[in-house]
Parts: sequence; structure tokens; C-alpha cells
Amino acid sequence: MVSRAYAQGRPVPSPITLIGTLLLGLSILTSCQSAPPPNPDQELIAKGRALFFNETFDGNSRTCGTCHREENNMAIDPGFIATLPDDDPLFVAERNQALMKNFENPRLMREFGLILENQDGFDDLENDFNMRGVPHVLAQRESVDSRDGPRTGWAGDGAPGDGSLRSFATGAVIQHFTKTLNRVPDVDFRLPTDDELDALEAFQLSLGRQQDLALPLPLKGTVAKRGQEIFLDNALGKCNACHFNAGANGNPDVFGPGVGNMNFNTGVEDLPDQPADLTGEKVPPDDGFGTPGDGTFNTPPLVEAADTGPFFHNNSIETIEGSVAFYNGDAFNNSPAGQLLAGATGGGINLDGTQVVEVAAFLRVINALENIRASILLIEQSNRSRGARAKELLGLAVADTKDGIEVLIGGGLHPQAVAHLKEAKHLTRRAARSAFSRRRHAAAAIRELEQARGEMIE
Amino acid sequence: MRTISLASLGLLLLGSISFAYAQKATEIFIPMGKSPGLSYSNYTYMGKIESVNKQKRTIKADGRNIRVSRDTKIWLDRTALKATNIAGRFADLQAGRQVEIKYADAERRQVAEWIKVKVTQP
Repeated sequence: MVSRAYAQGRPVPSPITLIGTLLLGLSILTSCQSAPPPNPDQELIAKGRALFFNETFDGNSRTCGTCHREENNMAIDPGFIATLPDDDPLFVAERNQALMKNFENPRLMREFGLILENQDGFDDLENDFNMRGVPHVLAQRESVDSRDGPRTGWAGDGAPGDGSLRSFATGAVIQHFTKTLNRVPDVDFRLPTDDELDALEAFQLSLGRQQDLALPLPLKGTVAKRGQEIFLDNALGKCNACHFNAGANGNPDVFGPGVGNMNFNTGVEDLPDQPADLTGEKVPPDDGFGTPGDGTFNTPPLVEAADTGPFFHNNSIETIEGSVAFYNGDAFNNSPAGQLLAGATGGGINLDGTQVVEVAAFLRVINALENIRASILLIEQSNRSRGARAKELLGLAVADTKDGIEVLIGGGLHPQAVAHLKEAKHLTRRAARSAFSRRRHAAAAIRELEQARGEMIE
Repeated sequence: MRTISLASLGLLLLGSISFAYAQKATEIFIPMGKSPGLSYSNYTYMGKIESVNKQKRTIKADGRNIRVSRDTKIWLDRTALKATNIAGRFADLQAGRQVEIKYADAERRQVAEWIKVKVTQP
């Protein structure tokens, strides 16, 4: 390099400059050699992240991140949608003439956060579709595997090909990224390559919790503690049978070892007065898993539930309290899953109002604890990063801490923890703004987060 | 007692478990050889149809007779024509045509779950 540069007629340096340059080059080489080797897993995850949020696959301008927003728990909801500009790719069906009919229902998207899916095929676009919410894609390492193979999406059959999480993006591009309803590869979109599918899978598996909780937790709050007892009580809440450790997997003591994620028909489709139905818009019944469907949907993880509503595949219930109360109602207790549960335990689920709120309080607290875990991790990652990425990570930590605050305030829980979380949010913001005191503010924010956690759990 | 009851729930549910199932809706739009996790593996065969037996609803490919059941999806892969892929019929399965066959059972390889037929002329 050096000799080639000099051969191009540039001024010849003095011997002292030349020796200095060589020594500098040597020191750079030495420092390069001592740097840790790149982590292939991290590189793959970073590549997947870039694809997830930036790659349009030559389609209608949407990316995976259009619906799975990093700053909104990898999902979208009506409140978040209301903050988006009209030219956001989410609203492509409102602008693109070719997608104005039978691609989305803009009213149901804006009012209820519902996305159009053609789960049973594309032969009759006018009549054969489902309106589904956007599930978060957190903790998939602990929620996709089942004894019977991978379960993706709301019904467990969201991916084409081999049905795996890796294959999911291919189906998503065809369904959601197309420029026209012709859906011709290399005209309306391009399909992800094998390398891209590998990276997208690695990124998705890196999101959120990497392991399930081990209940019971030593909770301090009276209400949440009682909620946990009800949750775990096989004669009362009966929740832990299907949401083992508040995750997405079946209880191995009930369903056998390695059962993993399971599908159930819990009767959500039979709920009366579903919000989307009340609009008078066309909302065909959703038959869930398979074609034709068997009416079952897969079990979502509960740790992340409280800050990712609305709930169920059709966003039919807005609050976490309402979603717990659902299991008291006729829709669940008369459903195939409800009937099986009643047959096996001697009765349906029949919680009183206080008990519903207690179970919801438990779910709120474990969600807030997860917000704290994620916030600390993000701040620590920021400390190891530089420039815009460091700031971005702090911004995500602020969003997670804010969620924790809202989740606790919404249930009237742990006011002292809320105070610490508010201070942590403030300090994290200061860290993001600060050029010279970032580490100090970040460390203080982590201390506040740890104190908030200490208010909730032994 | 409660544990036993819940265990019986597990047994009851064994009869109603939904086995893993890849989504078929978007598979129609995936060109031959591009099905993620399936193409160029034991799950599918790529090659030509050697012969067709209409009476038995079988095709000979991959050196064996493969049954085309009423549940077998047949899709016409028209991506080479820059046209939308569409559903096909048994009559579209003709000797000499390039196909990708997904077996219903990758071990036994007796029945086709879906067959993609390459279309190169309008």
C-alpha cells in the first residue's frame, strides 16, 4: 500500500516520517491482532436485525419492522398506529391503487390494530380472509418449539415450507410485502435468500427472554402474590396447565415431558360483541390452525402480555384484566378447551372479581420485572456500543422502562417501584443526551432499576 | 387428586392435538426449488414426470409411483412467465413436465402433499 501510494508521484517523505509511519502501522497491526475475534452469532444477529428493519424485499416498501416495532415491544397496537404519519408503509393500502381492495381493511387497522391475512388461501380474496392482531415476537426461543414441530404465528401454522420460524419470513413477504395482488416473485417482491432466512431467524431468536421463569417467584406485593397463588392453583386459576411458568408451553406434569407449545380452541371466536364485529365491517370467522382450520390457536407467552395488548388473535379484549376474566365466561367454559378442563378438574374456571384482578396484578408485575431486565440489558449493551447505536439502545431502554411504569400504574401496583422507574427513565434519557456523563447517568439508571426490582421481589 | 385430574386432561388432549402443519396459503406463490426448508431436501423431489396413470391417479417420478390424492394440491408455477401462480388439476400432470413434489410422508414417499408444475409457455 505504502509503496503504491508513493509510486503515484506524491511528495517523498523524510526518513523520520517514514519510520514514524511504519511504527504507527505496526502498532495498528498489533492492536488489530489483539482485538477479540468477531462473534459469528452476533454478526448473524446484526445482519438479521438490519434485514428485519430495513429490507423491503423489493416489495411495497414494508419491512418486517413495519408491524413489529422495536420501540413498541416488537408489535403495533391502535395507540401506536395513531402516532404514525400517513405515509408510513403500514398504510400502503390507503395509497397504492393496486392494494386498495382486499389487501387490508384500513378502518379495522387504525381502530383495532387488525391486519388482513389469507390463511386459508388466495382464491376468494373478497370473502376468505382473517383479521388478526400483530403478535409481539419476543421470547420465541421459548415459545415456538413443540413436541409436534414448530408453531409460528397466531395459529401455529404461520410459516410455509417446513413450517419453521426460519421459513416464516417467506410467507410474510408474500402476504404483506407485495406490490400487487398478483403476488409474482421477482415482480411484486423478491423472496428472502437462504442466508437472509438464517439471519432473520437468528435475530428473532435473540429477541426478549431467552429462558422461562421458574414459578413461584418470591414476590413482595400482597395482591400480585395472591395472583400468583391463584395462577398456580390447579383447582382455582388452573392457568399453569397451559401457560407453564407463565410462558407459552404446556405443563410437562400435565401433558408430558417436552410438550412445548400447544394449540387449543378456547372459544375466543365465540365471544359476543367482538369490537371488530360491532363496526359492521366484514370479519369472517377465523378457523385457526390448518386449512380448513380446526378452530385452535397456539398459546402465547404471558410474561410479555401486560404491555402488549390488545389480547387474543383478533384483538378482541383491550385490558389484561379483561383477558383474565375471559376464562370465567361462557365462550371459554363452553369451548372444547374449557370443556376438557372442566372434565379433568371437576369444573370450569370461576374467579371472582378480586381474583381476576389479582391474577392480572401478577401478570403486570412479572411483565414489569421483564421490562426492568430488558432495560438493564439495553443500557449495558449501550455502554459497550458507540455513536448512534448507543443512543438508540438507550432509547429502547427508555421505552421498556416506560412500559414498566404504565403496567404498574395501570394496576395500581408498587408505587415505590414506579417512583424508581420514573427516575430510571429520566436518568436513561439524560444518558442518551449526554456526551461526557453518559456512563455515570447510565450507571445511576441501572441502580434505580435495581431498586425498583427490589420493591417487587425478594 | 388434582394432579391426577390434570394429568387426565393431558391424556384427553392427546386425542385433539394439532400436529405441526406448514401454511399452504402462500406456498402456491413460492417457485419450484425455493420452498424454505423443503426444496433440495428429503422432503421433496425435483425432476420430470416419467408417466401418468389416470385410472390410479398416480404419476411416476423419482423412480416410483406416487399417488395424487384428492387432498394433493397441484399448483402451476408460472413465475418464468412473470405471471401469477395458480391452482392446477390432475390433467396438468403430464409426462415430461418438470415438477417439484412434496411428499406427505418423507420416509414412505407414496403420496404427494403438493405438486408444483413448471409452466414455461403461456
